[in-house]
Amino acid sequence: MRLPGLLVFCALLGAAPGCAKKGQNSPAGASVVLVLDWVPEPEFGGFYAARETGGFARHGLTVEIRGGGAGVPVVQMVAGGQAQFGIAGADEVLTARARGADVVPIFATFQTSPQGIMAHAARGYRTLGDVLKSGTLAIEPGLPYALFLKKKYGALGARIVPYDGGVARFMVDPTFAQQCFVTAEPLAARKKGGDPQVFLVADEGYDPYTGVVIVKRTWLAEHPEQVKAFVLAAREGWTAYLADPSATNLVMHKLNPAMDAETFASAAAAEEQLTRSEDAKAHGLGSMTRERWETLGVQLAEVGVVDRAPAVGDYFLPLP
Amino acid sequence: MVATEPSTGAPLHAVGDARGVRVHVEHLRRVFAMGMPVIDGLDLDIAAGSFVALLGPSGCGKSTLLRLVAGLDRPDGGTVTLEGAPRHARVAFVFQDAHLLPWRNVLENAALPLELSGVDGAARRGEARRALADVGLAEAMGKLPHELSGGMRMRVSLARALVTRPDLLLLDEPFAALDEMTRQRLDDQLRALWVRLGLTVIFVTHSVDEAAYLAERAVVFSARPARVVGDLALDLPRERNAALRTDAAFAKEARALRDALERGGA
Amino acid sequence: MRVLRSLMPPVLALVVIVAVWEALVRVLDVPLYLLPPPSAIARAAATGLGDLALAASVTARAALYGFLLSAVIGTLSAIVLSASRVLERALYPYTVFLQTVPIVAIAPLLVLWFGAGMRAVTVSAFIVSVFPVIANALAGIRSVEPALRDLFRLYGASRFATLTKLEMPSALPSLVTGLRVAAGLAVIGAIVGEFVAGFSDSGGGLGILILSSYRQLRTDLLFAAVFFASMLGLLLFGLVNLTGYFLLSRWHPSARETRAAH
Repeated sequence: MRLPGLLVFCALLGAAPGCAKKGQNSPAGASVVLVLDWVPEPEFGGFYAARETGGFARHGLTVEIRGGGAGVPVVQMVAGGQAQFGIAGADEVLTARARGADVVPIFATFQTSPQGIMAHAARGYRTLGDVLKSGTLAIEPGLPYALFLKKKYGALGARIVPYDGGVARFMVDPTFAQQCFVTAEPLAARKKGGDPQVFLVADEGYDPYTGVVIVKRTWLAEHPEQVKAFVLAAREGWTAYLADPSATNLVMHKLNPAMDAETFASAAAAEEQLTRSEDAKAHGLGSMTRERWETLGVQLAEVGVVDRAPAVGDYFLPLP
Repeated sequence: MVATEPSTGAPLHAVGDARGVRVHVEHLRRVFAMGMPVIDGLDLDIAAGSFVALLGPSGCGKSTLLRLVAGLDRPDGGTVTLEGAPRHARVAFVFQDAHLLPWRNVLENAALPLELSGVDGAARRGEARRALADVGLAEAMGKLPHELSGGMRMRVSLARALVTRPDLLLLDEPFAALDEMTRQRLDDQLRALWVRLGLTVIFVTHSVDEAAYLAERAVVFSARPARVVGDLALDLPRERNAALRTDAAFAKEARALRDALERGGA
Repeated sequence: MRVLRSLMPPVLALVVIVAVWEALVRVLDVPLYLLPPPSAIARAAATGLGDLALAASVTARAALYGFLLSAVIGTLSAIVLSASRVLERALYPYTVFLQTVPIVAIAPLLVLWFGAGMRAVTVSAFIVSVFPVIANALAGIRSVEPALRDLFRLYGASRFATLTKLEMPSALPSLVTGLRVAAGLAVIGAIVGEFVAGFSDSGGGLGILILSSYRQLRTDLLFAAVFFASMLGLLLFGLVNLTGYFLLSRWHPSARETRAAH
């Protein structure tokens, strides 16, 4: 009877990392893993700051931060137990939930989405609609906001090609436009001597929370105190980082030498306003409102990414 | 029109006015990679229209000699001269395997040499049909090589060699891979063709019986490097048939050849 | 009747695999985004059939063009390489490079040079599939029996005659083998090319569909797209096989056995 044994073995293998983290209680506090959805960059600055300034430790957590890259399956890893905390976009969260991944958001770094479209300023575009009319546009296939833009503007005149994660093509082709994270690609292009002009997707009416920390719902139910600790530490970490990012930037730069120190600094500076909102001022950095999640759910249903807008109460849980 | 095998055996050509060329080999030398000479200063003379067997142990260099005569190989010393027909002498070669082109049928295979020389389709096919009829394959012209037996394939190879009406026919142990019965039948067929067409035939073999049966003259070689250790005119009737193989005279000639072979260190 | 009987074992195996898969997913309650059951995949294929078929046709075009390029350029290259041993020794290692270079790495370069779209995708399909054609065609040409070469030389055949009447027909069985391998590789090359260079809207091929369904966690649609990609590869492979059969069955042992079996 080898097959059942093999299946049990595989199941244990999958559960093992989660088990190990759950059970361990080192002198420094509970040991958890935070998995990022990109390489260490200023968009995660607050979390690294929380670790570096001892913020996590003060709240009784030992956090291992795992950087990612293109295509890291953050939601799958959190849902599968390989990581307790993960970073994702709000639309990813709702999409994953619709496919059966039971993860819930607890903290939203960016109150305004840093997603944007970067075009050549020399073209003289006035609105994003202009950009979409001609030339080449590089967007990851399947991105919800691409569907949103298509719905808003109708058939796009520009040819849509896959996004390869850099600015090489942008520098070479004057009719080229591409998706960007407002704190990343435009800065890289400007440094190389390009003339990027950024149109925020948020300005078009599609503004999901970004840099959202997610946890598995069942894990939240079992460890509410760790979740609370994380949120508090993250809030402190981001406050510290936005005030003075230099030390944390050094740490991240060592992990990600591809981005130079100067860009780290300018990106951190650009991020600051995106983390601000009325709600964040009132309730603290990273807090979220029901209404915005509801709006997002409706928008995703309208473009067909999910079949119907999910009930907000299913996932928008009051924090412990 | 095609002349079938004469039942009386009377040749269509007298030996004297044969079409074949005279082959003259002088001080021939061929050395191979290791520096070991395979042929070292060989002299040989073959009369026009004669049927000569080259007999010797395996690896002695008789195949190399044949290739040098054919022009498929170049000597390191000495000369090979073909005298006879006023035009450039036509040489044909039959290998140990039939080596037919598997994607062509019998007729197209037989016609190949003429095709390569630029003869047009109708003419070359006509010649091929004649040659195939000479070897008794008139019915098999549309077949592909894989549909033929070993003996039939060898006969196609023979027809291919004869299609250009060569002056010199060189055969390198052509029937060695065939069974006894087929071999004897092909021996008869070859000899009959020689009698009728009157060309020069040089036939390499390591079979004493075959040499004795087929040839008028047998040149016996020693082991490498090849040296002539025997050159016998075979005193046997011009008419060859199966009965001859059990004749006393045949056995005597065969023994003489075997003795020569042994002396050569076979 | 015999054709049906020979199809039975693989069809039965497929039925068993599908049944076990469906059962396991249901029993173990595997989430949809991780491993969808065959029923979900079939449903996704049914509802998305229009998109899948369109995408498959786009990929098929690029794969076919790339394959044809490989067939022609590959064969010509083999002929050139066979002309001299020195040339072969000098250039062959670089053709091996075509085999070993990771296409995922140079695909972005292709976009930079050719621009996104059918051209870059076709070139990607070509690069991935050309080496087996060159290698096999060259081996086929080199495998000509020396005695046949002697024969051609004896009768004064020109280089061209030797190439067309002896070397090419001799090399055909090897070439067909190389083309069989190239067929599947051309589809892979096209899809990888699309990952980087495909057009994302209606002009996108299966590569784009795979990327976007992955991004939206539509794992069932992703599986359906992968299935269509495999079918495409199988179709092209089958076409090459059929062509090879017609070209060779008259005289080549391998094709003849197939004929005899039926």
